[in-house]
Amino acid sequence: MNAGVVLRGLLGAALLIGGWELSVWALALPQWILPPPSGILATTWTVRAALLPAAAMTAYQALSGYAIGAVLGVALAMLLALAAPLRAMLLPMVVAVNSVPVAAYAPLALLWFGTGALSKIIMVAFIVGFTVFLNALDGLTRVDPAAVSLLRSFGAGRLRVLWVLRLPSAMPAIATGMRISTVRAMIVTLVTEMLGSQLGLGWTIFQAVLMIDFLQVWAAILVASVISLVFFGVVSAIERRVVFWR
Amino acid sequence: MLRAAWPILLLFALWEAAVVGLAIDPFYLPSIRVVAAALQAQAPFYLDAYLVTLSEAALGFAMGGLVGVASALLFTRLPAVKDMVLPIFIVSQTVPVIAFGAIVVLWFGNTLMAKAAIAFYLTFFPVTINTLAGMAAVDPRQVALLRSFGAGQWVVIRKLLLPAALPRIFTALRLSASLALAGAIVGEWFGATRGVGAMLLAAMFNEQIVSLWASILVAAAVGGTLFAAVALVERAMVSWREEL
Amino acid sequence: MKLSVRGVAKNFGAVRALDRVDLDIAPGEFVTLIGPSGCGKSTLFNMLAGLAEPDPGGTILLDGRAGALLGRTAFMPQRDLLLPWRNVLDNALLPCEIERLPRAQSRARAEKMAVDFGLRGFEKHFPQQLSGGMRQRVALMRTFMFERDLMLLDEPFGALDALTRSMMQRWLLDIWERYRRTILFITHDIDEAIFLADRVLVMSARPGTIKLDRRIALPRPRDAHLLTAPEFTAIKRELLDAVEEESLKSFSA
Repeated sequence: MNAGVVLRGLLGAALLIGGWELSVWALALPQWILPPPSGILATTWTVRAALLPAAAMTAYQALSGYAIGAVLGVALAMLLALAAPLRAMLLPMVVAVNSVPVAAYAPLALLWFGTGALSKIIMVAFIVGFTVFLNALDGLTRVDPAAVSLLRSFGAGRLRVLWVLRLPSAMPAIATGMRISTVRAMIVTLVTEMLGSQLGLGWTIFQAVLMIDFLQVWAAILVASVISLVFFGVVSAIERRVVFWR
Repeated sequence: MLRAAWPILLLFALWEAAVVGLAIDPFYLPSIRVVAAALQAQAPFYLDAYLVTLSEAALGFAMGGLVGVASALLFTRLPAVKDMVLPIFIVSQTVPVIAFGAIVVLWFGNTLMAKAAIAFYLTFFPVTINTLAGMAAVDPRQVALLRSFGAGQWVVIRKLLLPAALPRIFTALRLSASLALAGAIVGEWFGATRGVGAMLLAAMFNEQIVSLWASILVAAAVGGTLFAAVALVERAMVSWREEL
Repeated sequence: MKLSVRGVAKNFGAVRALDRVDLDIAPGEFVTLIGPSGCGKSTLFNMLAGLAEPDPGGTILLDGRAGALLGRTAFMPQRDLLLPWRNVLDNALLPCEIERLPRAQSRARAEKMAVDFGLRGFEKHFPQQLSGGMRQRVALMRTFMFERDLMLLDEPFGALDALTRSMMQRWLLDIWERYRRTILFITHDIDEAIFLADRVLVMSARPGTIKLDRRIALPRPRDAHLLTAPEFTAIKRELLDAVEEESLKSFSA
């Protein structure tokens, strides 16, 4: 990553934000079309007292669901990696269920689990679980057969091979799945909140739309984006440390 | 086609077995026969929903795919522009785009274009990024070899980089198909009266579980259609690729 | 540890890979195996390591015992297969971990062995940081750490350049003298086969069988000058003829 690329990247970002601000003022765009970045930042600051609890709730739901989904996804992948016939049967069904976009399950989740945090956590666990599961299974099964033979020649059984070879070998794939899932977790949380919630950024956005307060909408989106980015950044950083050999 | 069908049939069989065998409360999971009956009874409505959502998602998806690949080609030609724009692209992938749904509906009104725009946005970035990654993964020595034969930039792209990137492009398209559909459905939640998303919402508010499950199945059908379309194009592309 | 192979054959569907292999290896011997590509050398190794079964009628006896061979020989395949997330020491300790030996003792043993294998100072390095020659040494050390009397080495120096290879050969003989294991060593290189071995086995083209069993009575320790000595060249000519004949068969097949 040389200095030229970084500078051009910063220039691009600056041009985008600068251009945005300028065109709003120059074209005198009404707020409901496009507020200026300065306006969005100002509003975020002024309504921070309301945004903070909503952000906390959204983050809590996303993180809880993420943790549960990741653990279940890896566990299920390990189980299916060990049992080939089970895998042949379950995998196509899992893929079929996944062909429905997760968002479409939100109304169902709300009916079943209510408008509290539980429905959001379960939705997030669902999508994170799927993503991590598919990635983990791919990594666990895509192992050099020569390495498996080597371990067997040392007398290793299937469980040992899983623990010593397959699991570490699958870490890059699992890490990729977990990285992608951070953003999906946030999106699914927001979408489910929008449909039915008592507290959360998605709910804030929905309410703000009803009250035709678009600065509030943009402010909530800004906060949600920041949480998303931080979450993504933290997971990526952890990934780089854990999967150091890539 | 047939190979894709059996896991679905198995799933339905398990569904029915679970409902009957475990005596599941129909509030959670109604019998598949009841759902099928509802689909049949209200067939015109569900068909209409299918077509509406399919057109929204497909339009946005197709445009997003084409513009995505075109952008990647443009960026390869103009690396300075790429350096400026790519970080924004990557960051935009972490922004919860679907939160913009309300705003997009506001800009475009409650029209097909609004949902298609959301689907477009969700498709466009992953396709661009993956196409670029696919082209970047080509062995620079192969590029050098073509150059040594006197090939210009465009020839290198057409004959080497683009075909080499095809697998990743199609992976991105498959991912984006789901995203485009999700975008269309969520877009419909902001006031649409027709479409799978609208039916899901109505079913939720009226606590009509059977209708809800029927709508989920229709959503799966739209998803399946999009995936089938991608598979068809992929097969056509592979033969094109071999001709190169 | 005495190895006794009788009437071992292997068919893969219609393809007859091995045809009645008979061989005996005495404890402490260094035996090399050469033959044309596809003659079944690796198949034989897989069976000796317990990774494949000989067809019915064939027997493999280790110290007079037949039956499950998995885990009774120390096997080193062609590729080093070092795990990139483990450092040098942990890679070498892999078989001991699988065997569930007490960690502290294994670790101490590995640290001492690392000195013999020229890896002192590199114990905490990761495979990506090592040269090809060093990686092979780590893989060899891993094989030696698995304390079994019979070692099966499948072209361990094949991927190395000629200079590194000759150094590794001399070093391997050194180690072998020190640890006195029984070694069965596959190679493509006739010079290497003669230089290292007490006996050279030449395999025929597919279906593979032992065509020639030549005792190498050259003095030990083997010196580099031996490579151009007349006795060496005589043996080499004899083996070359045998191998050429088989190579032509498999080339024209």
